[in-house]
Amino acid sequence: MAPKPITSPVPDTCYPTLAVSMLAIGLLFTAYFFVYEATSSRRNRSLAKELTTGAVASFFLGFGSLFLLLASGVYV
Amino acid sequence: MGFWWRFNLLVFTIAILSTPVLSDLILSKVDRRIDLTSQIVRITSTLKVENAGSGLVSEVLLAFPELQAKNLVYLMATTNEGKGKTKSSGVSLPVEVANPKGMPPALTVYSVSLPKALGEGDTMSLDVLAVFTHTLKPFPEKITQADIQLVLFQDSAYYLSPYAVKFQSLSIKLPDARIESYTKIENTKIHGSEIKYGPYENLPPFSYSPLVVHFEINQPFAVAQELVREIEVSHWGNVQVTEHCNIVHEGAKSEGEFSRLEYQARPHIRGSSAIRHFVAKLPPRAHSIYYRDEIGNISTSHLWADSKKTELLIEPRYPMFGGWRTAFIIGYSLPLQDFLFESEGKRFLNISFASPINDLVIDNLVVKVVLPEGSRDLSVSTPFPVKQRQESKISHLDVVGRPVIVLEKADVVPEHNQYFQIHYSFNKLSMLREPFMLISGFFFLFVACIVYVHVDLSISKSSASYLAKLQWDEVRATIQQVESIINQCLATHEKIEASLRDLSRIGDVQACKTTRKTADGLLKEHSKELKPLLAFLQSSPAAANILPKVEELVAKERELQERWMAKHSIIVDCYEKKLGGREIENRVAPQQQKVVALRQEVEDLLEYIDEI
Repeated sequence: MAPKPITSPVPDTCYPTLAVSMLAIGLLFTAYFFVYEATSSRRNRSLAKELTTGAVASFFLGFGSLFLLLASGVYV
Repeated sequence: MGFWWRFNLLVFTIAILSTPVLSDLILSKVDRRIDLTSQIVRITSTLKVENAGSGLVSEVLLAFPELQAKNLVYLMATTNEGKGKTKSSGVSLPVEVANPKGMPPALTVYSVSLPKALGEGDTMSLDVLAVFTHTLKPFPEKITQADIQLVLFQDSAYYLSPYAVKFQSLSIKLPDARIESYTKIENTKIHGSEIKYGPYENLPPFSYSPLVVHFEINQPFAVAQELVREIEVSHWGNVQVTEHCNIVHEGAKSEGEFSRLEYQARPHIRGSSAIRHFVAKLPPRAHSIYYRDEIGNISTSHLWADSKKTELLIEPRYPMFGGWRTAFIIGYSLPLQDFLFESEGKRFLNISFASPINDLVIDNLVVKVVLPEGSRDLSVSTPFPVKQRQESKISHLDVVGRPVIVLEKADVVPEHNQYFQIHYSFNKLSMLREPFMLISGFFFLFVACIVYVHVDLSISKSSASYLAKLQWDEVRATIQQVESIINQCLATHEKIEASLRDLSRIGDVQACKTTRKTADGLLKEHSKELKPLLAFLQSSPAAANILPKVEELVAKERELQERWMAKHSIIVDCYEKKLGGREIENRVAPQQQKVVALRQEVEDLLEYIDEI
């Protein structure tokens, strides 16, 4: 079996686009999270909703910032 | 097993005893070419080996005087198998240091193992390439800026060998410049920049005739005392190479003062021995190239790139004269798919060993290969022996550190610029470590916010302001509930409106009535839910300010409800009596106006309460 070259799982030309879009989605979720924290009163706040919003926001922010690092040449 | 071992031992002993000291072989023809055009001395010898004895011979000895041997950095013997048309390109043969008995102690001997033993009368042709560094001695040792650089080279005019040599010749290639002097013995000729010695015939073993050439050379004598190459592999699509060079000009030392003016005016006369620039041949598709030192970026560099190579020309901050030194860093990125491969479930990196800078002698080369975190079972295969060790390095987004393989080799010349491989195994899921680090970082931030919002941080739990705040929180929660109930009521009203619209379109009175019934039920439930909330608000002193507005809201909503119901009854009634459209409109008109006005008021109140 001839050696097979290994490439990145995501083509590196996509990094800037991915970084911008995922960071945008992540920031929207973050904004929603903080608006919810600030407006809902202590009694009718639901922990599950807070945690899911936070998890979704951190997923998008995490991958977005990874692609931002890769796009700017910091290969982690 | 035991038998074979004993048998092999026997054969081995016989072989040793029956090797009659070196005299069976003779060299029927030796052709030597010495290349002195750069600081690296390359001696290529073509030997025609003939077995004149009766026994089988499987190794050929090469002898070097000790003075030369300590500068010998690369020795390769190749043989051209086959003859005529089937002549294949060289097959390199194993070479190792040998210390046979009966050799003069001032000689270092290497033995070349032949691919197949030579029988009686057999001949074989052998190409030997020997590379030496630090062999050209500057003479005079110190020169001024305007002087040219002269060096001395010493060797033997006869091929120094433990075997008798029948026929030999030597040619020395010098740079196209002045030749100060050279040793003249019989059969010495000079053609331009090439000196020829020989042919000499039938010389006994260990013939030696000293030979000295004194000539001008203005090639750079760039020697890197230490060069550290760091190769960092990222599976996200990049191989980053960083080379820390510490270079000194090891030609004739510069003395006297340096005049930049003279150098600038006539650089080839007043500075012919200086190093002006280095050329580095980088692999194709190299990108993100930088050239800097401790101060910062060095702007004097030029780059040419095509599909086969990337050529980088870098000028140091100053021309380098003898004894001067400089330190700089060059770095570049390479695409991953050109250097990293997968075969049989393991990954391997295939990259060149030495520095890409042309004609550079490296006294001590350190190659560090940084593999991604999570790489296991590392193994190295190099074409020549190197010292190796392992360490780890903490870099971006690492937890335990990345495995680093450190390869060290002294005395490296461009001939060592061969590919080496590092094999390792890697689980693809380990690539998700870095994003997971980032995600968990952000998630902790959110969790911290949630905790901050949920935890009661007040110190005094009995102070008036704290209690007021608690009450106010409760009032706010209640008001929010009231608001949501009112919103549900408004939604029910919409349903009634929709059913009326359907009635005017289709004329189905029965469906309209059932809608009315469900709406009545819903509204009743809502008003039941509202009662305890209102009672709480009335009892709470904190809600005193907002209570009138809330009560007004509830009252208006109830009125709106009644109007809707009235409107609904009138319209249904009219339909049952089969009155005309105009008649219906006349009857409904006063209710309709009220409905619109009340709805507006309810919405305004909701907004007002929301803002509190």
